[in-house]
Amino acid sequence: MSKEMEFDANEEKLKTLRVSSLDEEEDDNEAQVDEIDDPDLSTDEDEEGEVHPVTLGFVEKLKNKWSLLRHYFPSKAGGTPAWLDPINLPSEKSSLCDFCSEPLQFLLQVYGPLTEESTFHHESTFHRALFVFMCPSMACLLRDQHEQWKRHPEKPCRSVKVFRCQLPQTNSFYSGKPPSEDGTEQPLTAGAKLCNWCGTWKGDKVCSSCRKARYCSGKHQAAHWRSGHRLACTRLQTSLEMSESAASNSLWPQYEITIEDECEFENEMSDSEYSNILVSGNRVDESVRSLMDDFAGDDDKRSWASFQERISRAPEQVLRYCRSAKAKALWPVHSGRPSRSDIPACNYCGGTRCFEFQVLPQLLYYFGVQNDVDSLDWATIVVYTCEASCKGDEGYKEEFAWVQLVSQSAP
Amino acid sequence: MAERGAGDRGGFGRGFGGRGRGDRGGRGGRGGRRGGRRDSDEKEWVPVTKLGRLVRDGKIKSIEQIYLHSLPIKEYQIIDILIGPSLKDEVMKIMPVQKQTRAGQRTRFKAFVVVGDGNGHVGLGVKCSKEVATAIRGSIILAKLSVIPVRRGYWGNKIGKPHTVPCKVTGKCGSVTVRMVPAPRGAGIVAARVPKKVLQFAGIEDVFTSSRGSTKTLGNFVKATFDCLLKTYGFLTPDLWRETRFSKSPFQEYTDLLAKPTTKVVHVVEDAEAA
Repeated sequence: MSKEMEFDANEEKLKTLRVSSLDEEEDDNEAQVDEIDDPDLSTDEDEEGEVHPVTLGFVEKLKNKWSLLRHYFPSKAGGTPAWLDPINLPSEKSSLCDFCSEPLQFLLQVYGPLTEESTFHHESTFHRALFVFMCPSMACLLRDQHEQWKRHPEKPCRSVKVFRCQLPQTNSFYSGKPPSEDGTEQPLTAGAKLCNWCGTWKGDKVCSSCRKARYCSGKHQAAHWRSGHRLACTRLQTSLEMSESAASNSLWPQYEITIEDECEFENEMSDSEYSNILVSGNRVDESVRSLMDDFAGDDDKRSWASFQERISRAPEQVLRYCRSAKAKALWPVHSGRPSRSDIPACNYCGGTRCFEFQVLPQLLYYFGVQNDVDSLDWATIVVYTCEASCKGDEGYKEEFAWVQLVSQSAP
Repeated sequence: MAERGAGDRGGFGRGFGGRGRGDRGGRGGRGGRRGGRRDSDEKEWVPVTKLGRLVRDGKIKSIEQIYLHSLPIKEYQIIDILIGPSLKDEVMKIMPVQKQTRAGQRTRFKAFVVVGDGNGHVGLGVKCSKEVATAIRGSIILAKLSVIPVRRGYWGNKIGKPHTVPCKVTGKCGSVTVRMVPAPRGAGIVAARVPKKVLQFAGIEDVFTSSRGSTKTLGNFVKATFDCLLKTYGFLTPDLWRETRFSKSPFQEYTDLLAKPTTKVVHVVEDAEAA
């Protein structure tokens, strides 16, 4: 008797098992059919996968003269860089654009120390800064686009370069205590002498007549000579020449980068309840599907639309920072994205590189860049850094930058 | 400030990274200012594209300059600045669409919106979203991005302003074909309810229409009339027989390199002839 009951129970169990598996198959098939044919309907689903907290950077005018000096560990855009390690600056070869051999111009720097929450935090990452330089010529940027797609080139030629520098808390350049807020703090050592024209790179070369003005390259010496040093050189007014500010007028305007979390801007987020309209089995019909195809657009349009929607929460942002192994950049254009293997491994330790931050084109508006055919224009610059933030020797290590341009042709 | 403690977070000052969710200190005046004003987002538009920057600076005065050079418009604020004040919008239909999931049906709302200024510019936008309001807002933005110029002409004597389509045009989408025929003044828009709305927004005063196919599907019907209007500027009529004098695109016009204008103009003409 008991065995019969067991049999019945088992049969019932089998039956229930079968029924539920059939249901699953049906649902999967239907779900697949829907997703293949309705790209518009499935876009929302993809976004809700993993959400990493993103920190946004905004540009602000300088409030006081001292807050962008290097011993205050600033994050800034435009002007001259506040070198973290003031002595061991990048070599002259790495400071030039590989296409036109002009010295690169400073774009922005980000002070991003690794904290205890990160797995790669160690004592040498107490101070950590990333510097982005690029050549202001659009022709070089177009050639750079070809170069960045090459995997393992023998000689990497780029016009956009990123340098990383990190220091432990106790170092020979800054005191181990936080700097005071009133502008009286001074660094422990003076830095290396910088070029008088750009104020960016090391001034190794000297003006041959007065032997006082320093330059990083012949081009800057010629530019400074033409724009006023020719007159001032003979007068030996060295004290005026050695002023802190760079003489060049083509540097981008200087701003401070302030930091906000993106989650503070999410106001009308939740699409919580949708009404339960019991429309009887009304599936998506062909006409609506064709309409979606044409007006929802192709991949490029869709990624542009989701990019715009994301930045519309804070339209003034210029930087998106999210240092996490699985973090993904916000791509404005669908084409021109790198795959995993397009991002090279770290030159120094051989480890993988992960996404750290990206620069947005609003920065061009704040810099007041001209809008000619050949003026600088990009969709985004994404920076990938060594995941382990390897220590190595002193000085600056090169990291990898990926530039995505807006396609110029009409859709 | 709390984060200035020596070394417990790593680094001095306000650095990126490591700002956990609970860390709200040191926000400064920025957050407060942001949280208060929502309406001023319109004025705070920061352009992302080069065209947007030109429009923001006021270098481009009319939208026809953009149409002349077929430049893609990627930001709806461009349209807002150029023809925004006269632009009206109307929701044609809100249609619930459903997808089958394991746990029942998931309903979303599809909104069809037509925008137009009644003077030669129309746009059509379609957006699907979980909430009706979001769908309407999204479709208004898409409609502004798809604004096209509409060419108007005369039925007979060329007296007064153009009032009808310049010639017979037809547009097709799915099985629906819409044909528009020039009409004399005073005829009004002789069309069904749906295309009549679109044509009113376009600024066409008199037209005869004829449609075929399953016009019950509003999506296809509206899209077919839109396609028809798109073709008005694509039709070569005798008054366009004269050779075009090419002008500089908005990007070239404002260059400071006035030293080489001749080479630039020749370049443009060659491109167009080759095309």
